[in-house]
Amino acid sequence: MPVWAEGLVKTFGGTPAVRGVSLSVPRGMIYGVLGPNGAGKTTTLRMVLGIIDPDAGARTLLGHADPRKVSHRVGYLPEERGLYPAMKAREAIAFMGALRGLDWATGRKRAGEMMEASGLGYAVDRKIRQMSKGMAQLVQLLGSIVHHPELIVLDEPFSGLDPVNQEHLEALVRSERDRGATILFSTHVMSHAERLCERIAVIAGGQRRFEGTVDDARGLLPMQAQYVPCDRAAEAGALLPADARFDGRAWRFTVPDGGAEPMLLSLISAGHGIAGLSMQRPGLHDAFVRIVSDAKRADAEAQA
Amino acid sequence: MSAFTRQALVVARRDFTAVVATPTFLLFLLAPLFMILMSLLGLTGAAQIADTSQDKMRIGIIAAPTDGPFLVDADARLRTMLPREIQPPKLDLIPQHGANSAAVAQALLAQPDPNFVAILYGPPEKPTILKEDGRRSTYLATLAEQALRDRKAGIAPGTLLSHAQTTDKKVTTASASSKHATGYAAVFGIFFLTLLLAGQSVGMLAEEKSNKVIEILAAAAPLEAVFLGKLIGMFGVALLFVSFWAGLAGVAIALSASSIPLPPIAAAVGLPAFLLLCALYFTMAFMLLGAIFLGVGAQASTMREIQMMSLPITIFQVAMFGLSSAAAGAPESGLARFAEIFPFSSPFAMAARAANEPEIWPHLVALGWQGLWVAITIWITAGLFRRGVLKSGPGLLSFLRRKR
Repeated sequence: MPVWAEGLVKTFGGTPAVRGVSLSVPRGMIYGVLGPNGAGKTTTLRMVLGIIDPDAGARTLLGHADPRKVSHRVGYLPEERGLYPAMKAREAIAFMGALRGLDWATGRKRAGEMMEASGLGYAVDRKIRQMSKGMAQLVQLLGSIVHHPELIVLDEPFSGLDPVNQEHLEALVRSERDRGATILFSTHVMSHAERLCERIAVIAGGQRRFEGTVDDARGLLPMQAQYVPCDRAAEAGALLPADARFDGRAWRFTVPDGGAEPMLLSLISAGHGIAGLSMQRPGLHDAFVRIVSDAKRADAEAQA
Repeated sequence: MSAFTRQALVVARRDFTAVVATPTFLLFLLAPLFMILMSLLGLTGAAQIADTSQDKMRIGIIAAPTDGPFLVDADARLRTMLPREIQPPKLDLIPQHGANSAAVAQALLAQPDPNFVAILYGPPEKPTILKEDGRRSTYLATLAEQALRDRKAGIAPGTLLSHAQTTDKKVTTASASSKHATGYAAVFGIFFLTLLLAGQSVGMLAEEKSNKVIEILAAAAPLEAVFLGKLIGMFGVALLFVSFWAGLAGVAIALSASSIPLPPIAAAVGLPAFLLLCALYFTMAFMLLGAIFLGVGAQASTMREIQMMSLPITIFQVAMFGLSSAAAGAPESGLARFAEIFPFSSPFAMAARAANEPEIWPHLVALGWQGLWVAITIWITAGLFRRGVLKSGPGLLSFLRRKR
């Protein structure tokens, strides 16, 4: 298990930031840590990486209790991007590799190759201060993987990137996974998690509220249906669930626990007919909102 | 090479390159213009130390109880006739015990404090004057002659009553005064270089904190390695700086060796060992004070805070200099021993000791002691940074709380 954490607790100045978070990230997987702003995602990742020590709980990184012992096998892109502005891109990547045990010459060589492959070949000798934010972010990401780490931890990697670079970053993450690396990343943008992650953990209020696949998360919510009657559309609402809403053309409602068939039969019998019908699982976005809302409610009740 | 060392060297290399490969480094190199002015002040200080040592100089007379008072009276009268500038050192009367005055004179001349430069012994009619090589014995010979004349009346002019025999004692080591001056110069030199160069480290983590690189460093390497690397990097810059100007000074001296009177360097451990020890103590002073400055500066959040911290840091540095220079002026005092042991004044005080005392082993012990304190200082400052800035881990004294 590349990342294992049990009951991590961290308090800053009396304010709890993380309250007993546990994580298990299987090898070779893209694993997402999702959560709203201030949920404790970054603090959890920093504890896992050994940048800060937990107040309580235990963690291992690549099987070691001291994460710094295996820092040469780990790549890390922090939430707050940091590069020396006066450094050239190639040197910045080689420097980050050298910190993780890669020799400078190999680091420089790989930096050139990686930048070329990322479409930044023209900027290898450009200083960081002369680059756009997106370019610098990509350089930093390349710096965090230049030593071919077994585990890559990315904290909010997509923030600040334009859609093209986001797409590029997603491709890079997949290629690293294909190389055999395990990827753990945090985000509060659900679309990336939905496209990339094989498993996710949702953290809210400093606690883990969900762990499983994206489908598991979506499965927490019932199916949503969109129904377009053939005739007397406005009157069809009487036969639909209580949460049904009419937008002038179609009805939208949550599919009841017993399924949609009995309801559809009664609609046909009543002469409304079916001009259109679609049913779909809610997206991860909705599941996330539900999980976080439930967490807030539970916390409020606990406080009360 | 251990991962810790390798990571420290990676950080050192980055910092060294970042400083040296900038146009502002040229401005940094111009700092010695100011240094030259300060050196002139330093030489004045060294001269003052030498003057203080002059006060400790003595001439001595080993005399029988019957001769002693006459010699002292004669000294009192002769001294009043001489202008202050050419008066001899103060006279000490040593009572004669037995017939071994020659051995006593030899022993007195060899001791460092008080610093006897000439000693008269034997009967005033035929005294022997033992003196340091290069010193004049005229005054003591005149004193013997005058004491005899005071006791006898009606001496014909031109008649000599005292026939002094003079023996030079080869002084194989430098005089105490010149050694003190050398010691002081070493203290001043090391202090000045650390003042000029180690102070730079106070703002070294400001860059990492402002551009968030500290997160990258803290994730990849132990903070102790980062701190050590930063010190090594800055020390590399300091070495480059010192080498450049020392090289220029060497060329200047070589070109004008005959026209520039060089101050004598008198060191008890010998010149090569003294220079090597000074280099090592400069290294230790830089690392010790640099570690403190780096640690204190790392706690600052803004440039204004760093500027505010510069004053107490400079005061601390000057305090160490004051302690060590006082120790250089009194090499065998308790103050000197304290300055040699106290970690942050030890490099300065031990450099002064190398000028004044010949033993080598205390320097090996001192270098080990100072190295230990470099490690302790880095450990403490990195711990404070981890606790205060990264908000991580238990306090440094948590193990005490746990024991309770």
